Amino acid sequence: MKRTMIVAGVLVLGAGAVMAQQEIAVQQDNLMKSIAKNQYGVLQKMSKGDIPFDKKAVDQAIAAIEADVAKIAKTFEINPKQDVVNATYGSSPKVWQNKADFDAKIPPVQKAITDVKGKITDVAGLKAAYTTINDRCNDCHETYRVKLK
Amino acid sequence: MLRRTLLAALIAAAAAFALYWWLTAPAVLALPAPTRNPDLANGQELFNAGGCSSCHATPNQPDRLRLGGGLALGSPFGTFYVPNISPDPADGIGRWSEADFVNAVMRGISPAGTHYFPAFPYTSYRLASVDDVRDLFAYLKTLPPVSGTVGDHALPFPFNIRRNVGIWKLLFMDTAPFVADATRSPQWNRGAYLVNAFGHCAECHSPRNALGGIIAGQRFAGGPNPEGEGWVPNITQQGIGSWSEKDIADFLETGDMPEGDSASGAMRPVIKNLAQLTAEDRAAMAAYLKSLPPVQGPTPPKRKEGG
Repeated sequence: MKRTMIVAGVLVLGAGAVMAQQEIAVQQDNLMKSIAKNQYGVLQKMSKGDIPFDKKAVDQAIAAIEADVAKIAKTFEINPKQDVVNATYGSSPKVWQNKADFDAKIPPVQKAITDVKGKITDVAGLKAAYTTINDRCNDCHETYRVKLK
Repeated sequence: MLRRTLLAALIAAAAAFALYWWLTAPAVLALPAPTRNPDLANGQELFNAGGCSSCHATPNQPDRLRLGGGLALGSPFGTFYVPNISPDPADGIGRWSEADFVNAVMRGISPAGTHYFPAFPYTSYRLASVDDVRDLFAYLKTLPPVSGTVGDHALPFPFNIRRNVGIWKLLFMDTAPFVADATRSPQWNRGAYLVNAFGHCAECHSPRNALGGIIAGQRFAGGPNPEGEGWVPNITQQGIGSWSEKDIADFLETGDMPEGDSASGAMRPVIKNLAQLTAEDRAAMAAYLKSLPPVQGPTPPKRKEGG
């Protein structure tokens, strides 16, 4: 009886740990997806003319990206050691091997955002701003973002 | 009796070695006389199409034209260290002849007559035209010399025996030149040339067999990243069928994907190179890629375990 309880307890704890790890991976993925929704769903689409230019929507998207980027270092503090189930992208283990370098890639993104915040008034300005911000995102994605399928 | 057996074994061994030596001999390309002066602008275009800088530029410094080498390139066979191809006379290719360069790029043979490992994608560059490779050589000579040599590759036995690459070449390297398809447009043919020769797209975007040869039937159908992390996507119409020709051309310039994302990982430096090409060359590559029939590639692993 005792033994069964111990085994059951260990199993529950183990499952809990696995779930928690997946939960961390999901949180990290969701944060990046939230940024992508604004960066690509709004800024990129508008800069390409797929959707009409709307200054208010641009300002909102940039404010949302700024808020999300500020959360990256903290959200990626722990290595979940697994990818989100069925995800197309994941994090390289290098993030946690070189966490200081990973974190150092964040301030340049923030600077690119502050440099353009509130100053975008037309599609040309938006295109330039999108490219600058995206280039800083890529400086990190080149090393730390992994395509999984 | 024993003596006779020994003698027979010795003869067999000598014969086997002679056969091995004959099979693995580097076959150099005899260079025809040049028909024109080098075209530096064309050399620069091919330098960018070929992605030379992505591997040969010195890591951790901003100038993509300083080709001092040193990048570590992981593979299932060990780690390769990319050599210095700057025009430095002592440490780079400053003293190379044109024939040395053409044989290195198109046959994978060093000026000393040894095989290069196929981490250097001469299996694709072999399709280049000799005049284009001459232009590339002339262009490389205009770049800044960088001093310093790179150490040896870290390869375990038997992969460290260069002579074995001769067998590998016999198995997996065709030496037929690029042949234009007369039923297709000049744009499509230009694209086919850039993608298959200098662009060497298939080197990463195809699955490989246990010996590291591309599985021909699944060319461009994606596969595990040869450097070890993640997956290289299928770029036949099976994978990017929803992308228009213009989407592909835009992607090659900016890395922006129509589904609302941006290229990352090892594709990022490739985009940096392709962004420098003329819009016509990118459009040609897009036209060719859009024409690739859908091919099912290997299936990516369900989920990474552990980190």
